[in-house]
Amino acid sequence: MDALLTAFGLVFHFKVIWVIAASAAFGMFVGAMPGLTATMATALLVPVTFFMDPVPALGAIVTATAMAIFAGDIPAALLRIPGTPASAAYTDESYAMAKKGMIDLSLGTNLIFSFMGGLVGVAILILCAPALAEVAINFSSFEYFWLALLGLTCAVFMTSEDPLKGITSLIFGLLINCIGIDPTAGYPRFTFGSVELLQGVSFIPAMIGMFALSELLRGAVSVDQQGAVLVQKIGNIFHGVGGVFRKYWLNFLRGSALGVAIGALPGAGADIAAWISFAVSKRFSKTPEKFGTGHIEGIVDATSANNAALGGAWIPALVFGIPGDSITAIVIGVLYMKGMNPGPTVFLQNPQFIYAVFIIFVLANIFMVPLGWIAIKSAKQILRVPRNLLLPIILMFCMVGAYAMTNSIYGIIVMLTLGVVGWLMEENGFPIAPAILGLVLGEMLEQNFMTSMIKADGSPLGFFERPIAAVLGVITLLIWAMMIWRAITGRRATIAPSEADPAGA
Amino acid sequence: MRANDAINGLILILLSVAMIALTTTFPAFVGQDYGPALFPRVLGAILIICGGLLIWRGVALRRAGGALVTMAPWTREPWRVGSFFLMLALLLAYIVFSETVGFIPMAFLTLGLLFLWFGVRPLTALVTTVVATLAIYWFFASLLRVPLPRGLLDSVL
Repeated sequence: MDALLTAFGLVFHFKVIWVIAASAAFGMFVGAMPGLTATMATALLVPVTFFMDPVPALGAIVTATAMAIFAGDIPAALLRIPGTPASAAYTDESYAMAKKGMIDLSLGTNLIFSFMGGLVGVAILILCAPALAEVAINFSSFEYFWLALLGLTCAVFMTSEDPLKGITSLIFGLLINCIGIDPTAGYPRFTFGSVELLQGVSFIPAMIGMFALSELLRGAVSVDQQGAVLVQKIGNIFHGVGGVFRKYWLNFLRGSALGVAIGALPGAGADIAAWISFAVSKRFSKTPEKFGTGHIEGIVDATSANNAALGGAWIPALVFGIPGDSITAIVIGVLYMKGMNPGPTVFLQNPQFIYAVFIIFVLANIFMVPLGWIAIKSAKQILRVPRNLLLPIILMFCMVGAYAMTNSIYGIIVMLTLGVVGWLMEENGFPIAPAILGLVLGEMLEQNFMTSMIKADGSPLGFFERPIAAVLGVITLLIWAMMIWRAITGRRATIAPSEADPAGA
Repeated sequence: MRANDAINGLILILLSVAMIALTTTFPAFVGQDYGPALFPRVLGAILIICGGLLIWRGVALRRAGGALVTMAPWTREPWRVGSFFLMLALLLAYIVFSETVGFIPMAFLTLGLLFLWFGVRPLTALVTTVVATLAIYWFFASLLRVPLPRGLLDSVL
């Protein structure tokens, strides 16, 4: 209880509220701009939050991402271009509604159900995370090894339509992580005498490169192609949303629950949650023939799901240090920088920080309603910001941000190299998210693998001796067996549709 | 630029072989069977298998008439190719010259050139460049105390 009071004290502080408000506006803008993703918003925020206390730093990220995922719905309805990949699943549906003159209802539904879906995500996070942490406190290196491997397996299994390329991308990320001092013997690997490489490839500049710079390179070649806003007056967006809720409350609950579950699975974030819940909604709808003609039902499911996924992704991130999506992958980096190593012990040692994150999550979702209303009302102005002015400024932010993380040119070199690598990977159909997860989880995987190998004296049976480790190990091996089986029988081992934007949530 | 998977696979195999070769120079520790070379070697071995499968797939695609390298449509428009490489060139220039020249002149150059190349009207470009450069410098150097290189303007600032 004391920790909870401390947490309220930490959050309801003028400076923290100010940071949350500013990052909310930033998130709204980034989310509403097509081509700028929620992950990119996070990567660009980190260099700024680097200089803050843990609570405002995490608050900024939580708020900006929640706003960005909602704001992505606005250009989907107005331009038929999703603002973030998480809105891609129902872009056509929203646009069809807008063309039928139902733009108010479409945007109002997006706003209210994003807010409520977000709250469901937080509620499940608050209920599950501390309970899981109590279980996780007894985990040894064997359990963590399997957890990390299971997380990486999910990342390949969930995100990529081409599992072979997903695995390749994952191994590539793990290999980048091998650069630097190795975690068991302290020997410098692949550093070629460079002092800066001793600490390894800096994580945040790598993220800025792979998620922001590669996106800018793609944007640079189409800088003159700006969508035309559907000219329509936006009226009272809340009119009729109550009726939608009474009719489709089951869809809302189903979408939110699916969203949390998919968000909590490592590697799959808000975008995949939206695709799957939209598909589920169509599958179980009484009127599936209305889908695609501007029907609200699927939007209810998917718009609740993508915001609920945000909260879900924090569950494995806080409890095990295994990110649920690419946003929490960055968050884990931030937690380490702030000295709050994610894992069950943080629930014991610093519960006030965990509660503060929960409170900010709730606050961010409440702020979303008025701010989202403002964003919708000013959408035409936001979408008129010319891309040829925006891209160079974002490039400057990337450069300064990467520099600020290392206070040297080294950060910019890492960003440039991995930006080009990330661009090439996407061009050739290698998904980026598994590589990022490999980069985040590499050290944890290697450390627990080496410790377990030494403890078990090289015997593979040792990895299955403890009951939870055995269960996790068997699940992991079963998923691998299934993937190999599907590859042999020639079926695609995927549930993510191929139209999904490869850039991640 | 989409290369045939055989090329991707070959690059990956070369990378893994080079890396595994490097791990042979890692020291072994007495009484310790599992040293710093183990993990990279396991990864290298998996990557070689992946590379092999990619080559197999690529060769099959090539036999079916697939191209070795497919270029995206924008690569045929010089202006767009220029946009792509101008961004990279300006980043490289910043890496090489920012320590001596300083952040403000380099940021001014980067933003100004990109705005003009992207077709922003010169007056708008000039105003935005000045405002954005100073705003970013103020925000990061003054507010967040990032030691952005001062370079030529060291005596002025």
